Amino acid sequence: MIKSLVQDTAAITGKELKQLRRDPVSLVLTIMFPIILIGIFIVIVSAFSATTHNVPVVVADLDGTPASKALLDQLTQSRFVHVTELVETENQAYQAVANGQAIGAIVIPQGFGANLAMGDAFVIISTDNSKLTSSQFVSAAVSQGAQNLVTQAVQQGGVSFGLKLAPIEVIVRPLSGRPPSGDPILPGFLGMIATLGGFDDIVNAISRERERGTFPRLTLSPVSLIAVYSGKMFATVVLTILRTALMLIIFSLYGLDIHGSLILIFLTAILIAVFTLSLGLTISARIRGSATLTVLEIAMTFPLFTLAGTFNSPLLLAPGGKAIADSLPWTYGNDALRRLIYLGAGFNAIASDLLILFVSSLILLPIAILLSKRTM
Amino acid sequence: MSVASFFSDSIAVAENEFRQFRRNRSAILISLVVLPLFFTVSLGAGQGGAGSTFSPTAHIPIAWVDNDNSLASIRLWETLATSPDFRNLIEGYTEQGAIAQLGTKRIYAVIVVPKGFQNDLENGNQATLILYTDDSEPGVSDQIQATLTSYTQNFDPNVEVQAHLSQIQRESVAGVGIVSKGATFAGFDIGLTIVIAIVQIFAGFYEIAGGISREREDGTYARLLVSPIPIGSIMLGKTLFDTVLTVIRTFTVLAISIYGYGARPNTDLFTLLALSLIVSFVTMGLGFVVAALKMGQRAVVIIEFFLILFLFAFSGLIIDSNLLVGFSQAISNALPFSYAFDALRRTVLLGRPLLSLTFDLEYLIGSVIVLYALAFILLHFSRERLIT
Repeated sequence: MIKSLVQDTAAITGKELKQLRRDPVSLVLTIMFPIILIGIFIVIVSAFSATTHNVPVVVADLDGTPASKALLDQLTQSRFVHVTELVETENQAYQAVANGQAIGAIVIPQGFGANLAMGDAFVIISTDNSKLTSSQFVSAAVSQGAQNLVTQAVQQGGVSFGLKLAPIEVIVRPLSGRPPSGDPILPGFLGMIATLGGFDDIVNAISRERERGTFPRLTLSPVSLIAVYSGKMFATVVLTILRTALMLIIFSLYGLDIHGSLILIFLTAILIAVFTLSLGLTISARIRGSATLTVLEIAMTFPLFTLAGTFNSPLLLAPGGKAIADSLPWTYGNDALRRLIYLGAGFNAIASDLLILFVSSLILLPIAILLSKRTM
Repeated sequence: MSVASFFSDSIAVAENEFRQFRRNRSAILISLVVLPLFFTVSLGAGQGGAGSTFSPTAHIPIAWVDNDNSLASIRLWETLATSPDFRNLIEGYTEQGAIAQLGTKRIYAVIVVPKGFQNDLENGNQATLILYTDDSEPGVSDQIQATLTSYTQNFDPNVEVQAHLSQIQRESVAGVGIVSKGATFAGFDIGLTIVIAIVQIFAGFYEIAGGISREREDGTYARLLVSPIPIGSIMLGKTLFDTVLTVIRTFTVLAISIYGYGARPNTDLFTLLALSLIVSFVTMGLGFVVAALKMGQRAVVIIEFFLILFLFAFSGLIIDSNLLVGFSQAISNALPFSYAFDALRRTVLLGRPLLSLTFDLEYLIGSVIVLYALAFILLHFSRERLIT
């Protein structure tokens, strides 16, 4: 009995892989997902890590003292902003932001130099906060400008105005020992690929067979339904191994140092894909069309990026979002991948994450088989 | 052909679309319920409602190791522990013991006050705090560092109680205060500008391109093309159908956002609806072009997925378009959706009147015309080939 189940499972796995090989669109898709995702990542990271940002700002120097001119010099040399215009009044500066001519207005008020000598100066900035990142760069430019004034004054031993160094410096030491870089979302991408791959596999494995009319024939054959589902699952396991290997190669080319055991990384990716497949099997018992199922799955996937820790840690979510994240098995998969890749965590450290994924799949599979039987 | 007949044909096509839509429960569910609900609720859950505020670092378990045990270090502890940003500071760890707990999910950062902290402050030197972080949690390290820095850079060890630093104190650098005057927005309101458009793009593209490819695969599209109904009527009929769905989706997203999460768009309903419709028309135009290229349903879904990913990278959703560099900036400038997101942000967040966004509107309307014209020409040739 067990021998026959294993043989049937192997036969179905072989059939699935053969079908994929004959379907160039699906085959290309399996390879293209990782490459396109990484391409998008590179676009975003290169924008953030550009040497200059040139966010347009206007400056109103209402003080005209050496202190305000020194700050203005710092702003014109800033790598964050590009001073497009020097205006005469505060209102002109604000108007430039309101009209969309500049993203930020920096106003150095009258009395700036005198107040600086007493250590009580301030600068007004008005930013177009609908441009999230750019407006932060304007604040960063002013902060850095003030800090540079102090550094220069200390180095030259000249006029230090009333400026002072921040009393306390915070030195950060990340646990992984990695330098701060733009790669913290790469393990999340691996989890995303496993999830998307699992969803895509279920569309290929069940829905398209249903549309072609081959699924009822398969279930009417002497092969048990468990063997059919196990076979399709093993095909997903093989494909997940391929996709994960491709992602890890791309990570290595990108210079990412993988600390953890490769076997555990593959195991985690496989469990994420198997859980996704189990969920897909359950949904596909009700939603029959392959295109409809794919759209639904994509619609589910995008919110997962926010909630399951793909881009940002679920720790930073609002309480409601954190509760949802805690109830999603993908969150544990992504978490395990990050700790494996960055911290080199061992099996014991991620065992509970893997267990959650495994148990969730075990719960969903019988439900999927039951629903499929009912709808036959 | 009279105008009346053109419109009656269009209405007939629209009626046919609605009939098919009514018979497809999955389509109704996905288009009108799942898409608006999933995107809006996940945004609200992740960012919190528009009226609510939360500190991302407030509940993160952070170990506090005081190796100085001085008045200054105790005052810093009091400042942080009574702040709304560090409610889960844990004492009692040794430095090594706390660091060993990082990566176990029990604590995510360790703040160490080194020996000589008070001495440095008293002597006018810059004191240091060491922050060990579990950097396997993306964003957590930066967030804790930024929040901690905002408290420490203006910390005065001579002041006994400084539990609540004002915003200007926290933003002050090197003795220069920074007064921010720009309007600030809740994360949910910013996200709303994205969700309104993404939901329309997601659903509209599939309804047009996917709908036509499904009809093509069923064999009914060829019959529709060779019928006496003009191409323009077919396109207008399908557009009318999707316009109604766009309106329903817009109201659904807004209802959940306003009544569920307290969103307060800084513009009127007409502007929101008009922008939703413009985004939808651009998407439908693109959908018609893709459909005219005789894509299968699966190909349409794949294109849709990549379209959304493309938008995230190039339309200013993750990073402002003006910060993109090189060819990515050129792509962003060419994408009509970049202008749609820009217009949504300017109206919903800044309250700018719709008609003042002339360039955005011109570009979007121009894109609609170009895409519809291109689709019309392609579909016309496709019909000619079918007939001959």
